[in-house]
Amino acid sequence: MTEHASTMDVRQIGVLLRGEPEPINRWMQDWSAARTALYVAVIVAGTGLYGAAMGCWRAPLQGLYVAIKFPMIILLTTLGNGLLNGMLAPLLGLNLGFRQSFQAVLMSFTIAAAILGSFSPLLYFLVWNAPPMTTQASGVYPFIRLINVAVIAFAGMVGNVRLGQLLGRLSGHPSVGRRVLFAWLTVNLFLGSQLSWILRPFIGSPDLPLEFLRRNAFQGNFFENVLEAIKHFFS
Amino acid sequence: MNEQNPNPSTPPEPPSRPSGASGSPPRIPPASWTAYSGALEPLGANPVERTPIQGVIGAVEAILRQPRRVMFQMKQPNAGGLITSLLIIAVVCSLVYGVVVGNFSGAQQYWAAPLKIACGLLISALLCLPSLYIFACLSGSQARLAEMFGLVAGLLALLTVLLIGFAPVAWVFSQSTQSTVVMGSLHLAFWFVAAVFGLRFLHAAFCHLNAKSSGGFQVWVVIFLLVALQMTTALRPLIGKSDKFLPAATEKKFFIQHWLDCFSTDPAWRETPATAPRQDAQK
Repeated sequence: MTEHASTMDVRQIGVLLRGEPEPINRWMQDWSAARTALYVAVIVAGTGLYGAAMGCWRAPLQGLYVAIKFPMIILLTTLGNGLLNGMLAPLLGLNLGFRQSFQAVLMSFTIAAAILGSFSPLLYFLVWNAPPMTTQASGVYPFIRLINVAVIAFAGMVGNVRLGQLLGRLSGHPSVGRRVLFAWLTVNLFLGSQLSWILRPFIGSPDLPLEFLRRNAFQGNFFENVLEAIKHFFS
Repeated sequence: MNEQNPNPSTPPEPPSRPSGASGSPPRIPPASWTAYSGALEPLGANPVERTPIQGVIGAVEAILRQPRRVMFQMKQPNAGGLITSLLIIAVVCSLVYGVVVGNFSGAQQYWAAPLKIACGLLISALLCLPSLYIFACLSGSQARLAEMFGLVAGLLALLTVLLIGFAPVAWVFSQSTQSTVVMGSLHLAFWFVAAVFGLRFLHAAFCHLNAKSSGGFQVWVVIFLLVALQMTTALRPLIGKSDKFLPAATEKKFFIQHWLDCFSTDPAWRETPATAPRQDAQK
């Protein structure tokens, strides 16, 4: 793998997916702009394709919107937490630089994006076979939402498993690696869920207008909404 | 390219055996079953496996009798010819089987059913190929995408060759029933048996790709089966008659719903034998 270690060779994605320790450890030490560009390209392509398949059930334009918004969430989460992640790692016992921690998080999102991209033809086929959203076919909307949740959860889990393995190797202590992973996961979920709230809708709703952002996009937040839902459930 | 057997038609020398009538009978060459069971002998260990596969007929022979040879040849740099042959087999065999399927309803189904079956099978495989590659990588496999594509072509070729074997049986049944549900179930059963053999080939190949676990492959098998089953509904009708080539956008449904609808509308299943006189009894 050394011959294409610093190029935009897509075979590097296979190395990431397999979690090959030796080349990945080396890539963590030697930063490369070309490799980072490759990761960003895979994130844009993979999550963009998946987003297009997710949104096109509502309308083709919604597919285009989600193809733009989904990669934005991933990249903005990585950038927004880059500083915090870089600070948390040494505080929790893993001596990583800002660039290295950024690279590690980007690697895990690249793995997730590659998986999502590979599932995008399947999701598109599922959506293409589903009755139109406007018919309000009972059970289809929750089913498609559930499939989306399952696929995204699977991709996220695999990305984080590989990230956990990498952090464990870099720290030399599995417990340190787990601690850093947990901290990164927490802050990434915190920011990521709010960005998803702002950039909604994704699947869309036939009762609401087709738009890039909801008019009340910046009103409220994800956690308030979850709290409201819980209160509503128990009232 | 790896070392080639200087005389491809000559199988490796069998172990010496006693001569004469009292000796043990000649040993039967190992069947393709050995490719699917037992310990994982490295591909190419047998010189026969290193013999290049020539032409479409050679590919049919190899996929049925020497699957390990196909797996080994797929790893070689010039596997394009073999992959093309396997794809040709898959397309031709599915077209032929499609004619048998279309024979049930006749008319435009003579050309529509073969076209839909061939296209449906290829599209199903293409839809599932990226996820198979990702699952292979996650399992630790070093396979290239081109190699995975070739192995999926092998799956399709084996599946459709077996369907050709079932074609005469399907044709006989299609002459003796009017029920689309009966014929649909029969074709599905044949397809399922053929798919089991095709997937067994793919699994054996997957094990030779240095995959650490086959969990991902098993998930992929479920995905492939679901996609292929849904394809039969997306491209309906394959068996019955219709004035439209494909269902309208408002008629889209999932395959389980479609099957339930078929059962509820098919006269053979809707009416009980006591209340439904046989058609030939009325004549």
